Amino acid sequence: MHIPDGFLNNSLTVGLLSGASVMFGCCLKRVHKIATAASSIASGSNGSTGVCTFEFFNGTNEYIQKLTIIAMWVFSSQMFNIPVQSKISAHLIGGVFTAVIVGPFAGFLVISSVLIVQSTFFSDGGILALGANIFNMAFIGSFISYYVYKAVARENYYLAILVSCLFSVLSAAFFCLIELSVSGIVHFSSSFKNMMCLHLIVALLETVITIVLLWLLKFICK
Amino acid sequence: MKTSKKTIIVLFPVCIILFASLFSSKYPDTIETFAINQGFKNQTKEIVLIFNDYNDLPFIVNQFLSSFCSGIIGLVLLYILYKTVKLFTK
Repeated sequence: MHIPDGFLNNSLTVGLLSGASVMFGCCLKRVHKIATAASSIASGSNGSTGVCTFEFFNGTNEYIQKLTIIAMWVFSSQMFNIPVQSKISAHLIGGVFTAVIVGPFAGFLVISSVLIVQSTFFSDGGILALGANIFNMAFIGSFISYYVYKAVARENYYLAILVSCLFSVLSAAFFCLIELSVSGIVHFSSSFKNMMCLHLIVALLETVITIVLLWLLKFICK
Repeated sequence: MKTSKKTIIVLFPVCIILFASLFSSKYPDTIETFAINQGFKNQTKEIVLIFNDYNDLPFIVNQFLSSFCSGIIGLVLLYILYKTVKLFTK
């Protein structure tokens, strides 16, 4: 899912990088607010902050620890390329997994931080295309997907994970295709089917891995 | 949270990295495959800041060790990043 350098045109690259920076700043501010108020979150109120589910933190220190752990889980899971079709591999995005545990704002930060480390240190995803990758995987794949999860979770937890993972991967792929077609690399309508077919299996894989990781984390933190 | 739980939670990504280093697929991922299918793979520009790839660390020849060390370096970097964030939130 990581777009390398050279695929996107300069104006789009700059635009997405600026947008990602603004969003990063907003999320950092919000997470800072949550972290400093973490003791009150631990004592019960979590509705307004977007922090949810597993209560394995009790204060500012443990809240940041939690973000560190989730970032480490996502980073390691993204390193694992799983063969999905003949001669094609895929890896977890982890957007839904992250957002379900730490909420949309911290989710955005966690995925962004993983992408920053990957692109700056290991050339996994372009450094100039970082804005596009953050937009696709952190904003669409985590931040927006959280609200899809939240909307469906009232009905059924597993259905919510399935729907949000499908939305996360397929819409990230869709926006990636839009970015490539705006850059004049591909023709949108002729390559739409190819892009979506490639990512449909990835979306199902994302669902399975997300459910397993969430179950595992819940099991360990019991 | 209990120390034993913390240990398991921290060791889990290390185990994943170990498995990833051993069994990770070498085939191109979906975006690379899409680029190959649509014929624009050659437009990739390699901008290397520090390391070229996970399994291409300059000081390690063995591919498995290189990949494993890259993963550990990544985890340490994330730890340092969030440790820094923690300092600012105090």
